[in-house]
This record gives sequence, structure tokens and C-alpha cells, in this order.
Amino acid sequence: MQYHTPPSFEEASRIAASASGTTRFLAGGTDVLVQLRSDLVTPDDLIDVKHIPGVKEIARQEDGGWRIGVAVAGAEMTEHPDLGRDWPGIVEGMDLIGSTQIQGRATLVGNLCNGSPAADGVPALVAAGASVTVTGPNGARDVAVADIPTGPGKTCLEKGEVISALNIPARGENGGDAYLRFIPRTEMDIAVVGCAVNLRVDGDTITEARVVLGAVAPTIRAVQACADALIGTTLDDAALEALDKAARAACEPIDDKRGTVEFRTDVAGVLARRAAKIAYARAKGEQS
Amino acid sequence: MVQVHLWSGLRPLVDGREVVEVEGETVGQLLDNLVKDYPGLKPAIDKGVSISVDGQIIPKSRGVKVKDSSEVFLLQRLYAG
Amino acid sequence: MALDGPKQDFKYIGTRPERPDGWDKVTGKARFGADFSMPGMLHGAILRSPHAHAKIIKIDATKALALKGVKAVVTRADFPEGLEGEDWNIQENVMAGEKALYDGHAVAAVAATSQLIARDALKLIEVEYEVLPHVTDVDKAMAEDAPVIREGAADYSVPEGMHPNVVRYMESGRGDLEKGFAEADLVIEESFTTEAAHQGYIEPHACVANLGADGKGDLWCCTQGHWFVRQMCTAVLGLEATQLRVTPSEIGGGFGGKTTVFIDPVALALSRKAGRPVKLVMSRSEVLRATGPTASASMDIKMGMTKEGKITAASGTFRMQGGAFPGAPVDVTTMLAFANYDIEHVHHVGYDVMTNRPKQAAYRAPGAPMGAFATESVLDELCRGLGLDPIETRLKNAVKEGTPATFGPKFPPVGLIETLEEARAHPNYSVKLGPNQGRGVASGYWMNWGGETSASVAIGDDGSVQVSIGTVDIGGSRASMALMAAEAFGIPYENVRVSIADTGSLGINEPTHGSRATFASGLAIIEASREATRKLCQRAADKWGIDADAVTWEDGCAKPSGPNAGEFDPLTIAEIAAEMGSTGGPISGHHESTPDGFGGSFGTHVVDVEVDPETGRTTILRYLVVQDAGKAIHPAYVEGQFQGGAVQGIGWTLNEEYIYGEDGRLQNPIFLDYRVPVASDLPMIDTVIVEVPNPGHPYGVRGVGETGITPPLPAIANAVRDAIGVRMKKLPLTPPRVLAAIKARD
Repeated sequence: MQYHTPPSFEEASRIAASASGTTRFLAGGTDVLVQLRSDLVTPDDLIDVKHIPGVKEIARQEDGGWRIGVAVAGAEMTEHPDLGRDWPGIVEGMDLIGSTQIQGRATLVGNLCNGSPAADGVPALVAAGASVTVTGPNGARDVAVADIPTGPGKTCLEKGEVISALNIPARGENGGDAYLRFIPRTEMDIAVVGCAVNLRVDGDTITEARVVLGAVAPTIRAVQACADALIGTTLDDAALEALDKAARAACEPIDDKRGTVEFRTDVAGVLARRAAKIAYARAKGEQS
Repeated sequence: MVQVHLWSGLRPLVDGREVVEVEGETVGQLLDNLVKDYPGLKPAIDKGVSISVDGQIIPKSRGVKVKDSSEVFLLQRLYAG
Repeated sequence: MALDGPKQDFKYIGTRPERPDGWDKVTGKARFGADFSMPGMLHGAILRSPHAHAKIIKIDATKALALKGVKAVVTRADFPEGLEGEDWNIQENVMAGEKALYDGHAVAAVAATSQLIARDALKLIEVEYEVLPHVTDVDKAMAEDAPVIREGAADYSVPEGMHPNVVRYMESGRGDLEKGFAEADLVIEESFTTEAAHQGYIEPHACVANLGADGKGDLWCCTQGHWFVRQMCTAVLGLEATQLRVTPSEIGGGFGGKTTVFIDPVALALSRKAGRPVKLVMSRSEVLRATGPTASASMDIKMGMTKEGKITAASGTFRMQGGAFPGAPVDVTTMLAFANYDIEHVHHVGYDVMTNRPKQAAYRAPGAPMGAFATESVLDELCRGLGLDPIETRLKNAVKEGTPATFGPKFPPVGLIETLEEARAHPNYSVKLGPNQGRGVASGYWMNWGGETSASVAIGDDGSVQVSIGTVDIGGSRASMALMAAEAFGIPYENVRVSIADTGSLGINEPTHGSRATFASGLAIIEASREATRKLCQRAADKWGIDADAVTWEDGCAKPSGPNAGEFDPLTIAEIAAEMGSTGGPISGHHESTPDGFGGSFGTHVVDVEVDPETGRTTILRYLVVQDAGKAIHPAYVEGQFQGGAVQGIGWTLNEEYIYGEDGRLQNPIFLDYRVPVASDLPMIDTVIVEVPNPGHPYGVRGVGETGITPPLPAIANAVRDAIGVRMKKLPLTPPRVLAAIKARD
């Protein structure tokens, strides 16, 4: 195994592009090192991106959005004084991953690249309309987070491509987001169902909404019917019921040791309602 | 003679008796005489049994004293866990 | 053994000093199984069957042996033939013979110069299997068309005509069931199942073995009982018992699962073949797949009760699988299923069944929690059906000294009634519950254990005391032993040092199991200390020129006793010790026995839960453990045992389970999916220590380790029943199962 510490994303991309065997990028390592130690994957080239300048930065952009380095750990996001005020749902999604120790290493981009439909960090990013900058042999391009995962463990990234930054849009006025997941325990578990809601209000009325479900389909899924159930409402009982119904209808889960099809479908509706209430309260400034 | 109570799974081995009487002043003598007087019990006793004397469970000490008036039960062989 | 009645007035017993091993354990200085290493040591790895049931046609290790760094490969051919009984079972389990019997069964092992090389070498071993039909469910394994795990494994007890997978059959009881049920105003009959759970000890099994071609060897390992390890390893390898010295490491939990061997004989066989020390450390997946979880159970219970709350009759059928070998603890399940209560008409039937699963091992009160889950659930339904309070009803039926137990003999003094009264009086029992909340009560019993025990004390030249015991310290027993020695000598706790001796330094000791360490090693330490103080008195008598009978030991000093003994200043232990080399030599005390005076412990738990009606998720709101300790030597560690039992019971009830796929492979061999409770899942577990002295121990001690896992399964199930109005009969109570029950109710 070759271990590389490139000084730039261009160099990282070049190493990956010229590699002939199995390649892994290493940031926090909370997935890669576990796979390595359990003999699931033994990379021929391990490319450590932590030494590239800027990868540990959380930066407010001129337009009010955020640029988050690929090696920023969950704990750094949680402890950031302003990020969580803008995007509490994104921060709480990331914060649910692993233990305190894992939070000191794990990264949001790593969570995205792992390609799990149950990734806790990703639904709120999709709901926020976040994008990533991808550096590859042909230069850099921006890709919506929603388009990165293509199936369990799979992403749309081509050979030689590496995510070099995460871009979160400006929060804007009267917005709120939230992420909830269901696990049988209280922590140290993988989502049986996850749901992120991001919305904006005008007075009591919802004017914009995005609802994203996790762990109920081969990829994380943004559900337009759920958003439609919310937009134009004041989140009254009828809206919540319509949201619940739309969320269930969007589920195509599997039966496995973590949950049944019926259970995942039921709970998707429940979490959608509960997350929508939190996001709504946040949008109205009634809850942090 | 000491009255020894048997668990019901053993009763078919001794013509359905619930209690058998044997001589013995110690747990060891009781077990030896049970095998001698009731050969049907041999496979069970060879496999291992526990015994209780006046309420105290004796997993394997053969030297524990027994009186004719003692309350004695054969029990399934017990393990510590 | 003649003992005076339990002592009642104590100076040190019942205090809560710091544990002697505490600093080393929290600073990382303590050495656990995997922390040991030796010069020239090799690393071992074990190849495991991916099939639940398969004939092993051929094993070819040529390519593995050709890999640079590989020093030895062993298969079953490297173990002696002709073993019988449990020795054969253990040998077959640590290395498969003709067949792989479960997913994870060891089929070969490698020793190499690094762990990575050893793991790479495993991939080069070619095993040809003929896959056979498998069965992992206890009820299916008893069915006529079930694949046979092994012909001829059944013992004398199994009636003719049963499936060969039924290897033991038991039946016990008394009275006339028909008459008893006829006297009842309400009879309830239900069936229940529990799934296999793992002990979940945090430390995986690890050992370093060094065995020469001359049959002399050393083994360092993580175990609950190193003499058991010695007996098993020497039997499995055909060695002479005392030629193998076994030294235990510190232990990161065992709960019964480390009273047997899995990797130790394999490491010894590799070492013998390679001529070098070999280290083997299990991964968590190996622990879950190939050590010994507890049995799973399928049970039918019928109980009758009068409208006043008197149990008139009870019967139970218990089917349990303990993997591909005999040994599911169904004897204990049947014995203790109804043992809390005074029941005239009672009957039990038990089946020990083999399946294609790992060989079960002991797990905290082995066999008792499953039975308690079923019987205490039915009792709860009877109370509900008749509108009776669960604690009052239990008090009405509770056993006490002299009650004939459902398993036969009359009970000696026991504390069930006291635990029920304390539970009823505790504030938790009267907290008002909110919506979707429920309260459950259950009681449980464990009979405890004595076991072979050998212990020594030796006086240091400054009057401090060295205690050597053969039971490893899992739950703070060094502290308890030091307290008992301090009490017996009348010297400060800090002046006692407790060491765990290896198999070369003491007579045989059974493991720290059966809740026996504080009882049996403690008893031995007290007796050994008394022997030593008699010798100390003798030295004082010699110095004073009086008869030893005229000297008494008090508060760490020899004193003349009575007016005729003469006027002498007391001699402290330090003063006598300083001169012992010139007054007759070193002073020590020793005691060995298989003490039978162990007293059983009853406990009662009260738990409050809240169930999310939309997701089926259960939250434990409040949890109370009340249990009889006889005498709590170190109350903090008694409370710790109570809390630990409750927590493991919470895990077993709510989320822990062995999940097998259609292919017979374990689906969840990692802690991510084998869900033990995490700290944030739990409330503080409240405890009340009841002390009904055990007449069989000089200080009144009863074992406390195991009883605590017996009531949680039914107590929580009863609380969930109270919260959702549906009786859950299948454990664990996972959210999908609970939500499905709620939906079926509505």
C-alpha cells in the first residue's frame, strides 16, 4: 500500500488518476480505517487529504453562504459559533454520527463519499441545496450534493476526481431546518430512517420547503410531494397528514436486520411530521 | 434408612416411585447405595446429580453428613454459571 | 465445616474504600489479555467456516505454508484423538473435525511473524466443503424433518422417538396439576420465546501460549478461571495437568462467557508446532460468531390463581437450544422457573436441543432469565385479570424459610419477602405515571455456588498482610477480600495486598463464577486469617511464657486474655512480624475447601417505561433493584452488581439478539447491529441492598452477581404491557415488533 500526502487537490487528483489498483481518500478515516482493519478493503493507494491547506476551515462566504473544508470534523462544526445558528439541521445531522471520539475525526464530506443511504450527515445538506466542488483531471466543477450518491456505497465521482470543498448556500431570512433519525438506541447506531426538512416562512405560511428521506431507498431521496404538502400551509393538521402520507409513499425500503419495510415506511411519515414541526418553529424564530 | 426424593424424570427408572429408601451416613454413601439398590438410577447418577440435604444444595461434596431424619432430594446436576 | 453464626458487628466490612486495582485500571497501567507479549512471539489467526453446516472434505495449507513468515498451520489433525464427553465437545468446538457445525466454527489456524501475515495466510488455505442443510431455530430443530446435527449425542434421559437433536430431556414437579388448575378462578396459558444474547464483555478473548515439545508450557490469558483453562487445555491437547502453568490477566468482563476456552488450546497447539510463543487475539466479530452466547428458548406456561391471589398450580415446557453441542441450561431454567413461589401443584418439562449455532456458554444466572420472563409475564397477566397488585400478590405467594421449593427441598433462610416489602415502600413504586408510560414488577432467584477454593495469607515483616486468591477480580473482589482480611486481622484495609495467584501457586480454584468469589474465596480468606492469627497468638504466648490459650487476638494485637493470663502489654502484628524469623519462621495461614453453605439470593425489580406510540421505541424512565446480599462487604460493588445485572437485562429485553439469515449465517456480528445498551439509553439504576444473613458464611455473605439479571426481562415486558396494553411474548422488544403490536391492537 502506498500512502500519499499531496499538498494540493490537483496533486491528489493526479495521484488518483494515475493509480492502477484500489484507491481511497483519507480524511477523518472513520470509515476507511475501519474497512481497512476489518479486511473489507485494502487500498493500493491511500491518499491523505488532511495536509492540503484550508481543509480544516469553516469560512463564511461573501453572499452569506458557507464553505466547509473536507477535513473539518463534526465536533468543529458543532462548536462553531455561527454555523449552527444558520443551519442547525445540518449541524445536528453531523453531530449524530458516532461517539465523542469519532466526532473529533469524522467529516461531512467523508460521510457523503461513503455513499450510504443511511448517512446522517447528508439529508440535511440535500435539503439545504448544498453543493460540492469536485477537482478532477479536467479541472474543478460544482455538483449538487443530491447528485453525488448513485446507490449504496456508490457515487458519481469519476476516477481521479476528489471533493475539494463543501458549499452551503446562504440561510436567508425566515428559514429553518431540522434533521431527525430513528435508531433503537440513543446513540452509536445507524439510522433506520432519517428525515431532513428545510423550509422558509412568510408569517405563518410556508413558502419554500424541501424534505429529504434517508435509509428508505437505495439513495438519499428528496421528495417533492412532501415539499408540496407543506408549501402554502401553516403546518396545520391537514398539512402534517398530507406530509406523512407523501413521505410513506416515497419509501422503497428493504427488510433487514435493522428494520422491516412496514416499520421504515411508518416511521418515515412520523419523522417527517416531527422534523417539519422543528424546522417550522426554527423558521419562525421560536426555537433554536 | 434415609428417604431420598427423586425428580419425576427419574421415577420411571425405579418403577414409578417418588421416594426411595437407602442406607447411608454421608452423601457419598447415599449415592453409592442408590446405584447398588436401584441400578436403574445408575446412568443418571453416573452422568452427575446434585443433592440437597435439609435445604442446602450440595453440588458435589460426598462427605456431607446425612441423618435418617434428613430431608434429601436428588436434583439435576447443577453448574455454577 | 463448623461455623459460628454470622458475625454482626464490623469495623471494616460495609465501608466503601477505593478499590486497590482502580488506579491501574483507569490509567491504563493494568495489563489485560492482549497486553502481554514475549520475545520471539508469533501471531496467530484462525480460519473459520462460512457455512452453518458443512462436511469438511479437504484442507490444503500448502500455499499458506509457502508464504514468507508463516511458521505453522494447525488443523484438527494436530490434536489427540479418543477424547470423550465434555472434553471431546470442547476439542470439537475449538477446532472442527469432520464437519463445520456453525458459521464461525474454527477449521484451521496459522502462526506467523506478524498478524498481517497470519491473516494473509488464512486466505491461502484451501478448504473444500460439502454444504449440508442447517437449522438454527430451536422449534425447527425438533421437527421431524430437521437436519441432524450429530447422531448419538442424546443421553439416557431422552425418551425413544424424539429427534436426534434432542439430547437431554427432563421432567420434575409434584402434586396434581388437574386438581390445582380446578381450584383456580383464572387460568392463563401462553407461549414465549427469547433469542440468544451475548455476554457482551468489553474485552475480547486473548492469550499468549508457550508450549514445548516436552509437554511443558505456560499460558497467559484473559479468563474467569485459570484452573478451568488448565484442565480444558491439557485435556484437549493430551498434556499432564500441572505441566501447564496458567496465569490470568486482568479481565474486562466475563459474565460466565470466560469460564471455558475457545482460542487457548489453538494457541498452545500452534506454539507446540512452531516451537515459539504464539499470541491469539479475537476480533469482536469472532467473539460474537464463535464464543458462547446464551441459549435461546421457546416456552409454554400455564398458571392458575384464585381471586384472592393464591397460585394454585403451574406448569411449564421449556425448549432450549445451546448450539451444536449438548448443554443448554434447561435444567436450571426448569428448576428456577417457579422457584419464587409456594406452589403445591407444579410440573416442568425441559428439552436440550442442538442446532447449527455456536456452543453456548454460561451467561449470568444461566437459564434463569428466560424462564423468569415467561412465568413472571403470566403471573402479571393473572394479576391484571383478577385486578390484583403485583407486589401484594407476590407477597402472598413468596417463599420463605421452610417453604418447600418447586424443585423439592425446603428453603433455608431467604430474603424474597424482604425485597418485595422494600420495593413496595420505595418512592419509585408510587410515582404517578403519564400517558404511554407503564410500570412492571418482577422477582427472580439464583441459588449461587460454593466451589473448590484454595487461598493463603502471609504476614510481611512489617506486619502488613499478603493475600493470595485463585479467583480473578472481575467486579471489585480484591477490595472485598482486603476488607474481609482487614476485619479478620483487625488491621487497616490499606495494609492488605491482594494478589491473584497463578495455577502453580495455589491448589485448584474454580473460576469467578456462580456468584461465588466473595462467598467462597472470602470464606477461605477469613479462615486462613484465623489460622494466621492463632499462630501470631502462639508467638506472643511463647514470648510471654504463657499458654497460647491465654492469648486472644483483638484489633491487630495479641493480648493476654482473662485475669490469670498475666500482665503483658499487647503485641501488635508488626511487633510479632518483626521478630518472626527468629521466633519460628514465617507466619502464614491457608484454607482449602469446597464450601457448601452458599445461600441463594432473591431480588425484586420495579421498572417504569415510556413507549413511543408512533415508533414503538421503549425508553426506560426509572429502574429499581432490590436484592438480598446477606451481608454487603463493599456496598458500592454490591450496588454495581445490581446495576450491571439490570443493564444487561435491559439490553437482552429491548434490543440484543442473535439474528441468523436464511443461509444460517450470523447477520449482526458487530456491536453496531448487536445492540447492547449505551450509557445514554439508561437512567441511573436505583438500588436497595437487603441483608438477610447467610448462616453458611462467617460474615453472612450471599453471592450477588447473577440474581440481578433474572427479573429485568419480565419486569420490562410487564412495564411495556402496562404502557401499550398488549402482552409481548417474543424477546427482544424491538421497535418494529412493538409498533406492529400497537398497530394490531388499534
